[in-house]
Amino acid sequence: MHKDFKLGKEDINILKGINLDIEQGEMVALLGPSGSGKSTFLNVLGGLVPPTSGNIMIRDYRISEMTENELCLFRREHLGFIFQSYNLISTMTAMENVALALTFAGVKKEIRKERAIEALEVVGLVDRMGHKPSELSGGQQQRVSIARALVNHPEIILADEPTGNLDSKTSADIMEMIYRLNREENQTFVIVTHDPDTTKYCTKVIHMQDGLIESEVSQ
Amino acid sequence: MKFRTILTIIGVVIGTSSIIVMVSIGNGAQKSITDELSGIGSVTTLQVYQDLSSMGMTSMGGGKTDDKAILNDDAIKDLKKIDGVVAVTPVVNLSGGEIEVDREQYGVSLMGVDYAVLEDMRYVTTSGKKPGANDENSVILGKDVLTSFTYTGASTQLTESEVKPEDLIGQNITMTIKRTNANGEEEMKTQKLKVTGVLESTGGNEDYSIIADYNLVTELNEWQTGKKANVKKQGYSQALVTVEDSAVVNAVTTEVEAMQFTVFSMQQILDSMGSVFQMLQILLGGIGGVALLVACIGIVNTMTMSIYERTKEIGIMKVIGASISDIRNMFIAESTMIGLIGGLVGIVISLVLSLLINFIAGFFIGGEGGVTISFITPGLVIFALVFSALVGLLSGVRPAIKAANLSSLDAIRSE
Repeated sequence: MHKDFKLGKEDINILKGINLDIEQGEMVALLGPSGSGKSTFLNVLGGLVPPTSGNIMIRDYRISEMTENELCLFRREHLGFIFQSYNLISTMTAMENVALALTFAGVKKEIRKERAIEALEVVGLVDRMGHKPSELSGGQQQRVSIARALVNHPEIILADEPTGNLDSKTSADIMEMIYRLNREENQTFVIVTHDPDTTKYCTKVIHMQDGLIESEVSQ
Repeated sequence: MKFRTILTIIGVVIGTSSIIVMVSIGNGAQKSITDELSGIGSVTTLQVYQDLSSMGMTSMGGGKTDDKAILNDDAIKDLKKIDGVVAVTPVVNLSGGEIEVDREQYGVSLMGVDYAVLEDMRYVTTSGKKPGANDENSVILGKDVLTSFTYTGASTQLTESEVKPEDLIGQNITMTIKRTNANGEEEMKTQKLKVTGVLESTGGNEDYSIIADYNLVTELNEWQTGKKANVKKQGYSQALVTVEDSAVVNAVTTEVEAMQFTVFSMQQILDSMGSVFQMLQILLGGIGGVALLVACIGIVNTMTMSIYERTKEIGIMKVIGASISDIRNMFIAESTMIGLIGGLVGIVISLVLSLLINFIAGFFIGGEGGVTISFITPGLVIFALVFSALVGLLSGVRPAIKAANLSSLDAIRSE
């Protein structure tokens, strides 16, 4: 898989020209201080905000030229998201949260349940599938959100500070899990973080500063 | 379910039930009046009169009616030729007759019709039979002919006679008519009549009349007035036209009117009543509609609030792959459900209210077999259900579009 990121200058110049290739199966860490544009970069990558100028290519898809609806369909099939604040729907159980992504893809109810349970097995939370987010710990909620990101078997998972709200022990568990998925499923991960500990799991570490890539280290 | 949603549904319930109850009251009024009217006379009988203005001319201008249509025997023949007409008979009335039954005196009037077409006219006898074409002195009694006005002190009362008209079938009755001659003396004439049957109630004049042959009635009339009737010039005052079925009533009416006669039919009354009641229903429905309009605003409000509250949820759904139409449909489905549930509950409540209104009205009005003040038709129920769902759907459109167009990133960041 080949990805081209050419981001032009924005008005506030959050991203001031970024050029980056990511190969399939890579696990990329985006590091940088607040305001360096790493989250914005991730959002542009996920098609949540359009770039002011430039191109984003994911495989043969030109993300930057897709309409909102095309982006929805694209995200549904190819992308998974993990957020710092988990972003689970509080009125739904863990299983329903995971299955929700499949609902929009038009998957049948029984198959949705089957696959949601499968995804929860991967993150080790099958015994908690009937619980609502408020009944789960932060680490468990994050694992539910990882299961939700996995359930569509996307090629790419974008994670915005996945361990930001977790203690170091839980953070390590989550990163281990992400690392395992990356190895076993050959899924590409792009992880925004400011925790240097998380970078040790990654194949590539990118430092950002003032909307530009400061350094790009493969390890 | 959220308390707010329940309140919104209650709003729709009130709106729907006020429309249903209002329209049902309009329906009830229409039903009771049309039922009443359909009982009066057959809908397939037209009453034809000489043009009222020509009658006026006759009395004032002394018979100068050359260019006016006269309801004479020629006209009767012409009426008979109209498509769809089954029978035509002139009507000759005689009033001031008296009969004595069981030592009671009854004032009666005679309604003379052509016995030759009696079989074709839709007069139904409840008992006995109709006289044949040549039974000149045979008569049929109207159902209420023996109901007499009796004076008890100052007030006039309608009293039921002990004798039923049916008891007289096969008997001869003697009718007496009076006149005052040129010298101011009172003269009497008696006429024997043979009762062959009793007529089923038509709700019209027939109920209080003795149906007799028009030749006999004309004869008696001539004696009473002392003048020979000039039917050819002056015509009959009235004729009855019986048509095949109610479908041709309007066509026949038009043709008879073209002959410059005045036509009166139950159909005309029912038709004009119909449009009056349609107006009434629109008016009543409109009043109920105001309540539903308020409910509609309530739905918009609830849905908009719901979007603000669920902005983050919407954002999450969009990020994990919900399309614009997924989000839009989700909200429209929700508001349609509010409308639909409100409509269903509203229908149940108005059915109960309708029963209650009729029950309470029954107490005050009385009458047998219950009172119909409020009448809910299946059509009204279906209309109310579809309409409330539609109101929910339309109320949801704007909030749903608003929700679908939220920027997913902004939405997901909101708290």
